[in-house]
Amino acid sequence: MAEYPDTRQSLLLQVKDPQNREAWEQFSSIYRPVIYRTAIGRGLQDSDAHDLAQQVLLAVASAIGRYEPSSDSSKFRHWLSRVTRNAILNALTRRRDDRATGGSSAQIRLNDVPHPDQVTEELIGLEHRRELYLVAADQVRDEVLSSTWQAFEMTVVQSVSIEQAAERLGKTVGAIYSCRSRVIFRLREKVKQLEKS
Amino acid sequence: MNQFENACPHPDRSEELLKGELTDPKLREFETHLEDCERCQQNLEQAAAGLDVWSEASQFLGEDAYRNSLQNSSGDLRPIASAQAKQVLQSLRPTDDPAMLGRLGSYEVSGVVGSGGMGVVLKAVDASLDRTVAIKVLAPHLASSGAARQRFEREAKAAAAVLHPNVIAIHGVSNDSELPFLVMPYLRGYSLQRRIDQEGALPTTDILRIGTQIASGLAAAHEQGLVHRDIKPANVMLEDGVERVAITDFGLARAVDDASMTKTGIIAGTPQYMSPEQARGETVDHRSDLFSLGSVLYALCTGRPPFRAESTFGMLRKITDVTPRPIREINPEMPVWLCGLINRLHEKSPEDRFDSATEVAELFAGSLAHWQNPTLVPLPDKVKAIQMKIEKQPRSSLRSRILVATLATLLSLSMGSFLLAWLAPPVPQPRSHRTQNPLYFDQIIRFESTSAPDAFWSNELGNKMQDANQHADRLWQEVNNNN
Repeated sequence: MAEYPDTRQSLLLQVKDPQNREAWEQFSSIYRPVIYRTAIGRGLQDSDAHDLAQQVLLAVASAIGRYEPSSDSSKFRHWLSRVTRNAILNALTRRRDDRATGGSSAQIRLNDVPHPDQVTEELIGLEHRRELYLVAADQVRDEVLSSTWQAFEMTVVQSVSIEQAAERLGKTVGAIYSCRSRVIFRLREKVKQLEKS
Repeated sequence: MNQFENACPHPDRSEELLKGELTDPKLREFETHLEDCERCQQNLEQAAAGLDVWSEASQFLGEDAYRNSLQNSSGDLRPIASAQAKQVLQSLRPTDDPAMLGRLGSYEVSGVVGSGGMGVVLKAVDASLDRTVAIKVLAPHLASSGAARQRFEREAKAAAAVLHPNVIAIHGVSNDSELPFLVMPYLRGYSLQRRIDQEGALPTTDILRIGTQIASGLAAAHEQGLVHRDIKPANVMLEDGVERVAITDFGLARAVDDASMTKTGIIAGTPQYMSPEQARGETVDHRSDLFSLGSVLYALCTGRPPFRAESTFGMLRKITDVTPRPIREINPEMPVWLCGLINRLHEKSPEDRFDSATEVAELFAGSLAHWQNPTLVPLPDKVKAIQMKIEKQPRSSLRSRILVATLATLLSLSMGSFLLAWLAPPVPQPRSHRTQNPLYFDQIIRFESTSAPDAFWSNELGNKMQDANQHADRLWQEVNNNN
């Protein structure tokens, strides 16, 4: 997978305190897709959405120096998500206003009061929730046999009927119920963990 | 929903099922019941997750624009790779044969097999011997580095000195032309990576067979002082038709490192199968290959590489600091001793791994013989010792409590009930295994993984238990075959 390694590493260098680095890495890996999808949802093109994600995260990363560290790492994440949400709102609303000016005014300023934009805010919340599920799913997929995962994916995500899935996977109907319940049980636990962190 | 449905007489096993606490026969029994009891289907799904979670999962886990976008952009790599192949093809000299693309040294090139990070693989005919060969041409961007060229030649010559059925032979090396290349036999087959992608976890027999062969190939190379440095499923070929494994790209990783490290300071390729000492950038010896072999075997057991992370940084950190998730949690079908062998290969410190690939090859060969004929061939002593060590480790899951219970019951049959007093607290009264159902076999077979207090019995009894265990093995296999 082409993961834009340079952009990720350049962001990491912005975080001077090694204790915050890991938290930041985890945070940005969740928020990059959130920003991207929010931007797409607000009508940006693919490459512009990637750019926006990078700009927002860069602005947030360089603001980390201003964060007053405390012993509780969840506070750092909390602070990060507030700053990031503001940055997204600013960037998406500003873009429309500033289209003609461009240049340095396109730079994202974190201290600005975000434009009130109910739709975008809800979109960010939704996309964040989606990302938690996607990350949790990646983890659960690793932890179960692939046929177990398929039983879940077919019947819950791809809306294949239980009987059809049983036939395709060579399992019994009872086994499909058992597989998909075990998967969603783990998924729910993971999402809960991710919400807390 | 009527009264009748509410009164399902079957005990509700949802909670145990979800927590993975049901033994296989009980699970199967419950699944059979689930087949047509709507009431229990509903109970199970409600216990697993609330309606909101079910609907969020089905809403959120479909197509993801972000991940799709990344996948499309990785498709952009293909033009680069084909540009590389084009560049290589353009450097060929003209040929008289209209069916050929060009000439490289004395070889007539007929096509491009593949193109990757290190170079381009061509299919060619060796006219003098009239045989088909594969030619690996060093990538143009690497060939421009003098150090890489020299290393390429040196390592390729060293690799050519390794003559072993499990190491791909090198017919020749050339460093004279514009692009250095090496000549290998053209094998019909596919890589281990492709097999994992298609099948996921492999059967135990295949894992043992493949493990034995990779270790033998490594042993032959290590004897010549050659370290592979990039053992991964993509570098292991499975030949079509014959059950033979061949390691490719011996020593070439270092040539690539030379060129790419100096330029960018970024590690080339995926670090997924690296050893901790490699990840830390320390010097490596043959035991680094043993760690990577451990990672390959882990992937064969579970269908997944042991270390996964979003970024290179995270991956390296995991390799050096994190113990991978136990294999049997992902694939309970893998024998305890095989997981023990892999854990030894996976020791973070080289001194704690096996001493040599030769030893690993012998242990795997011995274990394979045992696996194929458990009644006649015992496990190699060292493997047995590894198994015993694991079994001594305490466990607290429900499953192992059941096992201890079963074990204690069996013990009491042969040693009298006074012993039970010793084991008293964790012994619930034996339940279902008195009845004649498959559960019986299952509980015996699970001996293997019990935390048996083995100090309690004499050697003689120990031997008896082992016989019983092997007998159980056979019965269990029969049961499985009949299913």
